[in-house]
Amino acid sequence: MAEVGQALELPLIAGNKRPGDVTNDVMGVIERRPSLLWWGGLLLSVVALLIGLVAVTYQVATGIGTWGLNGTVGWAFDITNFVFWIGIGHAGTLISAILFLLRQKWRTSVNRSAEAMTLFAVVCAGIFPLIHLGRPWLAFWMMPYPNGRGPLWVNFQSPLIWDFFAISTYFTISALFWYVGLIPDLATMRDRAKTPLKRKVLGWLSLGWDGSFRTWHRYETVYLLLAGLATPLVISVHTIVSMDFATSILPGWHTTIFPPYFVAGAIFSGMAMVLTLMLIARKTMRLEDYITPRHIDVMCKLVVVTSGLVGLAYATELFSAFYSGNAHEQFAFINRATGPLAWGYGIMVACNVLIPQLLWSSRVRGRLLAVFVISIAVNVGMWFERFIIIVTSLERSFLPSSWSSYTPTLIELATLLGSFGLFFTLFLLFCRFVPAIAMAEVKGVLHPHPRPPAEADGTSSVLAEVKV
Amino acid sequence: MHQMTKPKRYWMTRVDRDAPAGVQPEFPTHPQADALATRRAFLKTAGFSFAGLAAADCGSAPQFALPHTQQPELTPGRGYSYASTCGACEAACGLLVTTHDGRPTKIEGNPDHPLSGGATCAVGQASILGLYDSLRLTYPTRGGVRTTWADVDAEILAALGSARQNGRAVRLLTGTTTSPTTSALIRTLVASVPNGRHVVYDPVSSSAIPDAYLVTHGLRLLPHYRFGDADVVVSFEADFLGTWIAPVEFTRGYTARRRAGDQGVSGNAHHVQVESRLSLTGSKADRRIRVAPGDVGHIASHVALRLSMLAGAPLPWTLEEAAVDSAVLDELTERLWASRGRALVVTSSQDVGTQVVCNLINQLLGSYGTTIDLDRPSNQRQGNDNDLQALRAELARGDVAVLIVAGVNPVYDLPDSAGLVRDLERVEHLVSVADRLDETARLAHVVCPDHHYLETWGDAEPVAGVVSLSQPTIRPMGDTRAFIESLTAWSGVPQSAYDAVRANWEQSIYPRAGAADLFSAFWNRTLERGVVELTPTVAAPLVFSGDGLSPVDRVAANAGGLALVLYPKVAMRDGRHAHNAWLHEMPDPVTKVTWDNYASVSPATAERLGVSDGDVVRVVSGDLMVELPAFVQPGQHDGAVAVALGYGRAGTERFNNVGPSWLQARTREGPVGRSAAPFVVAGDGGRRYDGRRITVTKTERRHRLASTQEQHSLAVPGAVAPIGTSEHSVVQETSVADLGHGGHPHEPHPDLWPRDHQYPGHRWGMTIDLDSCTGCSACVVACQVENNVPVVGPDEVSRHRAMHWLRIDRYYAGDDDDVTVAHQPMLCQHCEQAPCEAVCPVLATVHSSEGLNEQVYNRCVGTRYCANNCPYKVRRFNWFDYPREDVAANLVLNPNVTVRSRGVMEKCSLCVQRIEEGKIEASRNGVAVADGDIKTACQQSCPAEAIVFGDLNDPQSRVSTLAAGGRTYRVLEELNTRPAVQYLKIVRRDENESHG
Amino acid sequence: MSRTRVICNFEREEDLVGAAEAARDRGVEIEDAYAPYAVHGLAAAMGLAHSRLPRVTLVLGLLGAASFLAFQYWASVISWPTNVGGRPWNSLPAFVPVTFEVMVLFAGVGTVIAFLVVTGHYPGRRPRSSVPGVTDDRFALVLITDGDRINLAAVEALMSPFVPASISEEAPDTSAGGGPS
Repeated sequence: MAEVGQALELPLIAGNKRPGDVTNDVMGVIERRPSLLWWGGLLLSVVALLIGLVAVTYQVATGIGTWGLNGTVGWAFDITNFVFWIGIGHAGTLISAILFLLRQKWRTSVNRSAEAMTLFAVVCAGIFPLIHLGRPWLAFWMMPYPNGRGPLWVNFQSPLIWDFFAISTYFTISALFWYVGLIPDLATMRDRAKTPLKRKVLGWLSLGWDGSFRTWHRYETVYLLLAGLATPLVISVHTIVSMDFATSILPGWHTTIFPPYFVAGAIFSGMAMVLTLMLIARKTMRLEDYITPRHIDVMCKLVVVTSGLVGLAYATELFSAFYSGNAHEQFAFINRATGPLAWGYGIMVACNVLIPQLLWSSRVRGRLLAVFVISIAVNVGMWFERFIIIVTSLERSFLPSSWSSYTPTLIELATLLGSFGLFFTLFLLFCRFVPAIAMAEVKGVLHPHPRPPAEADGTSSVLAEVKV
Repeated sequence: MHQMTKPKRYWMTRVDRDAPAGVQPEFPTHPQADALATRRAFLKTAGFSFAGLAAADCGSAPQFALPHTQQPELTPGRGYSYASTCGACEAACGLLVTTHDGRPTKIEGNPDHPLSGGATCAVGQASILGLYDSLRLTYPTRGGVRTTWADVDAEILAALGSARQNGRAVRLLTGTTTSPTTSALIRTLVASVPNGRHVVYDPVSSSAIPDAYLVTHGLRLLPHYRFGDADVVVSFEADFLGTWIAPVEFTRGYTARRRAGDQGVSGNAHHVQVESRLSLTGSKADRRIRVAPGDVGHIASHVALRLSMLAGAPLPWTLEEAAVDSAVLDELTERLWASRGRALVVTSSQDVGTQVVCNLINQLLGSYGTTIDLDRPSNQRQGNDNDLQALRAELARGDVAVLIVAGVNPVYDLPDSAGLVRDLERVEHLVSVADRLDETARLAHVVCPDHHYLETWGDAEPVAGVVSLSQPTIRPMGDTRAFIESLTAWSGVPQSAYDAVRANWEQSIYPRAGAADLFSAFWNRTLERGVVELTPTVAAPLVFSGDGLSPVDRVAANAGGLALVLYPKVAMRDGRHAHNAWLHEMPDPVTKVTWDNYASVSPATAERLGVSDGDVVRVVSGDLMVELPAFVQPGQHDGAVAVALGYGRAGTERFNNVGPSWLQARTREGPVGRSAAPFVVAGDGGRRYDGRRITVTKTERRHRLASTQEQHSLAVPGAVAPIGTSEHSVVQETSVADLGHGGHPHEPHPDLWPRDHQYPGHRWGMTIDLDSCTGCSACVVACQVENNVPVVGPDEVSRHRAMHWLRIDRYYAGDDDDVTVAHQPMLCQHCEQAPCEAVCPVLATVHSSEGLNEQVYNRCVGTRYCANNCPYKVRRFNWFDYPREDVAANLVLNPNVTVRSRGVMEKCSLCVQRIEEGKIEASRNGVAVADGDIKTACQQSCPAEAIVFGDLNDPQSRVSTLAAGGRTYRVLEELNTRPAVQYLKIVRRDENESHG
Repeated sequence: MSRTRVICNFEREEDLVGAAEAARDRGVEIEDAYAPYAVHGLAAAMGLAHSRLPRVTLVLGLLGAASFLAFQYWASVISWPTNVGGRPWNSLPAFVPVTFEVMVLFAGVGTVIAFLVVTGHYPGRRPRSSVPGVTDDRFALVLITDGDRINLAAVEALMSPFVPASISEEAPDTSAGGGPS
């Protein structure tokens, strides 16, 4: 790939840093007092989160009827949000695992926050299958545990059970991956910690890491193994999510193209979300040197690629519907494109296929504001993709007598808002309390320096850099 | 004595009733007198458990209330059936009332009844809820305050006494009373005062029919129509399958005649409906002719003229050009003429002239004695609008001293209610016998609440010679009194209803029966069977007199003008059941709208007026005005605006916030629907329901109509029509010609999986004959009663959250003016390869070894995945905890069916509780389950016998033979879900009409 | 014969790698090296063998897959056979997704646990290196002298081309040894 070549020439990190500078810069973000921008963001996020909490509490107390669903459209916002958030999560794994396997060194400065994003997105995603149940308090029945009801297990043929296992596995592995990557940085924090309490806590969390190279040696193996496991995992997870639909008999759901289609879409939306977050982070946390235009550029290229894949998927499903000669199938897709929700279909195509094409131009890729706007558009478009797939297929299925329509209630809108609130709350807290950039990894990709003169002082130079 | 009288035996299902005596040793065998005592005592004791639930205390303790050391007849938890008679309308169908632990929980038709033959209608099915209506008046009132019966009787007797002395007028105003006992008592009472008269009117009048027979046959009577004997039926506006006179009996005859044997259908059968609005009956017609409201008389005259020519005795009539293409009339006439003696022409027109012409047609066709029975006339409509007019005149003059209004609600039913109210206020003693403080009872000085018909003894003779008994199945829930008892009290000889009925039967019925054995034996036999048929006392046969016949002129059709058509809706009829939530929530068979009446207009007219469904329109005629939501009705005449009667009843505000209450729940204002009664034309000839000229203007307001169906056509909207096909094939049709050729064998699609599952023993299945199904929706309500299906209210219905396990999909084909209708009952198809089962994560819906798709409520966590994956969309989700605060109404719940909680999925179980009960019964009796022993609730109620349930493993069973027939198909067969419910294709008999 | 630990500090990873190579050429026993990140090429310089953790991953993955596939079969065919949509009791293809997920779960969690066990890390463990800054920007090489041919002077001489920031000697660490690799 082109990036490999570039990675060898151009510096990945601007400002000709030394390891010590990296530590100071990254730790500086945490040790400095939070900016007003951060406080403002946290306030907004927490408010959104609280609104969502109220909505969910009311819904659980009153009944799913407080959502806009009906006998024909049994899923809408709930599963849409679920798939949306899961998709967001996948980009984190992609960056940390797949790009690691592909030896993409540029990932080092974004993978920490990307993995964090994965975790938080999966948390948001996991909420929806739970609260969408008619009786959420019985969700644990999804687990095949020995029980007092005689030999009563679960239905291993149900995609929802597959989901249950996939999502929980995905969360566990992602968390492990993230934490293992965090251990060396936790040690760094421990050694810089001022107060004994901090030192004690961090000492526990860092598991007594001391930078021993014999450990580093195995550590690299473990990291490689985890990456190797996470890569098929992330693909399997979204494949299984897509099977919720693909294994049904509903026209518009029942298509074999869904697994690759969904995986591509997931990476697509995830990349866009990474871009959004990175652009915010580098501005708000002064990490311009670490998240350089080059990182943005590379990720933009990935967005274009995945956008192409998604566009291809759209075209393919239309064609195969037409080619199938199956009236139900044809109707489902004509209805999807020209039916009551045609406007949503339009948004989806515009945001996911058309707008990202702008990123072909390096000038657009260079304009970070433009990139930011496009990344937002992609996020919107991908949300609509899931919504369109789910609702249009349900609202007009086999029997015209039961055709129906769907409009969300305030409760559903509030719940969606709340999930964003939760996501950003967690992310902002993460930025404050955990090194947002994997110091140990970044240090590994710094360019070699000449042996410094004795009087050279790294810190002053850092301060100088920070000023400009 | 002991030996002579056969011990009476109450029976639970037809199985053990028909089984020889003695197979149920637990039934006590003792002299009938004791049996009676215990029986009545049982009812009273059983009633005790509900005394507390009744709104008021139960008055004087019954002298029979002795505690039983061992309860007679009653095994707790078992359902018992008692033969009785339906009091929901004047059709008086035979019933078997199922009681659990002493409370009626379900109404079924009495299979032994010669007219209704085991079937019921939606209204009858729902009427049981009226028994548990917590807003019934449960005590007599005087001057609006509670009082005692003694006090009430004292006042009334005094009033009658004074009227007797000074010859003042005493009037008794009732609806049709089919009860011989009640009629006899009324005669006694009326005769006991010099100036007494009994005035009868029907809320929805058929008075023109008897008036016409007075003209043509010299006797005022309502004939007994025998649709079962008619090949060709021509109906002018008469909705005989839906609401007209005796829909259950007519539907049975009509469908039986069209269905020649299980396999084929009768090719001779042909039904032409001439009407202005699309009625339920019209939706089944082989040929529908749209005419302007009130134009049927003129069309009928044309038919009569043509027939007279064919008969060789042309009428000296010169008729104006008919609104209908004469070729159509020719074909119609020839069809009729060709099947003389097997034809029947009916009309519900309230124009006597039209009725006379109709009689003439029937005379020409030789229908009298074949398809119309004048020897055994019907008592189901006795109203006489001329008497009613006379009474109103008397009231206007203030001549009436005592007016007893029983069982009717004139202030609501009749036009110019304001004037009526004024006149009624001048009546010295206005006595009302009503079940609640309705519009009329509010004016009454004394209100004597009647029993619900399930609480009292009674009888009925709907058609001369068919007499049935009705017996109480629960002790009165309040301090109410049977009308019969009131009558005896006011006649001065108080009697219990039981004694009165029994006495009257001994005097008048028993002799007519010519039974060989003692009266007591005859009584017990009848009481057990519920009905007895008497040989009619044939008087001199009535002869048709052709003199004074004149054709009916064509109504002056002013261009573009609109005429109002008032009609009774299938569920609401005349509105006497307006407090029944089940009937409000039952989708109208044609419009699929619930909880409302509306102004139906044809699509063309709607376009002209610029209205669409839900736009509120103002209907104005003279100084009368009503605002109603518009509803666009294909198949309706462009000049007609149809509005249903029976709505806007006082007190129905109780339903304003029926259903779950939550943040965005929409409640309603005012009563359910608006009353159209003021628009009834009260002319000299009687009350007329069509022809009133109106103007319709659109308002800016909208009113959400709660409809259960958005897409009304099988044809896919053009915009989204897929390549190649334009229609879904869920409703399949065939033609008479194709019937002979046998059915295609159902070879299953090739399958990826090995077939692990055998179904030894039973394998339940069902067939539904779409050709027989009229869409009358009796099954819908029957299912609701049987399976404790909650009422969710208009808001939830409009959100597509209706809970009916069994719905009837209604599809239109053809263009708006010539529309073809298909009714398709849709319930869980119990697929062998059920898509819903595979996707449930917690195994809450699985397949039973008898082929049932079972829903396990207490395991369901509510993912709704099953509903999404159900191609038939028959699964129902409990979006809320549906309100069940009304303790009294909860008494109707079927104890054999779980009341589902919030958040769980539910659906048709093929009445698994009945299946199990049947199997248990069979094994208790040591016999195998015979075909037909087990009937699902829908099947049991169906007047068209369109639904057949049974064991597919038994090749002899009806369901198997039907399934093997040529008309069988499965809905969405291409999905290879292999449903256990199969459908029989509709047969299109009219070659001219071949809509997919 | 007093064995001592000689701790050499460096400021550049290149120096550390060079020093390690030199020490190895001279047959000086390298106890361990300390670095803020995984220094490229150091493993070769120190002559560390490949880790055997991948085998643990493989075994645990297979174990997880096999055991859960067996459980699914047992639960849906033997323990409680249920007719679901007319599908056969043993719907093997439907069992694949869960089997895969459980495999990944076992392998991943197992590998990390094995790693911590093998390297002896656990919450509350005290860091072994007394070298300051090796989690920041310093590098250290810990050599073992045998007090005879290889002594502090020899080491200093050996290290001088790599300009160590400091060299110090201390008593042998009894808790030495990184365990088997």
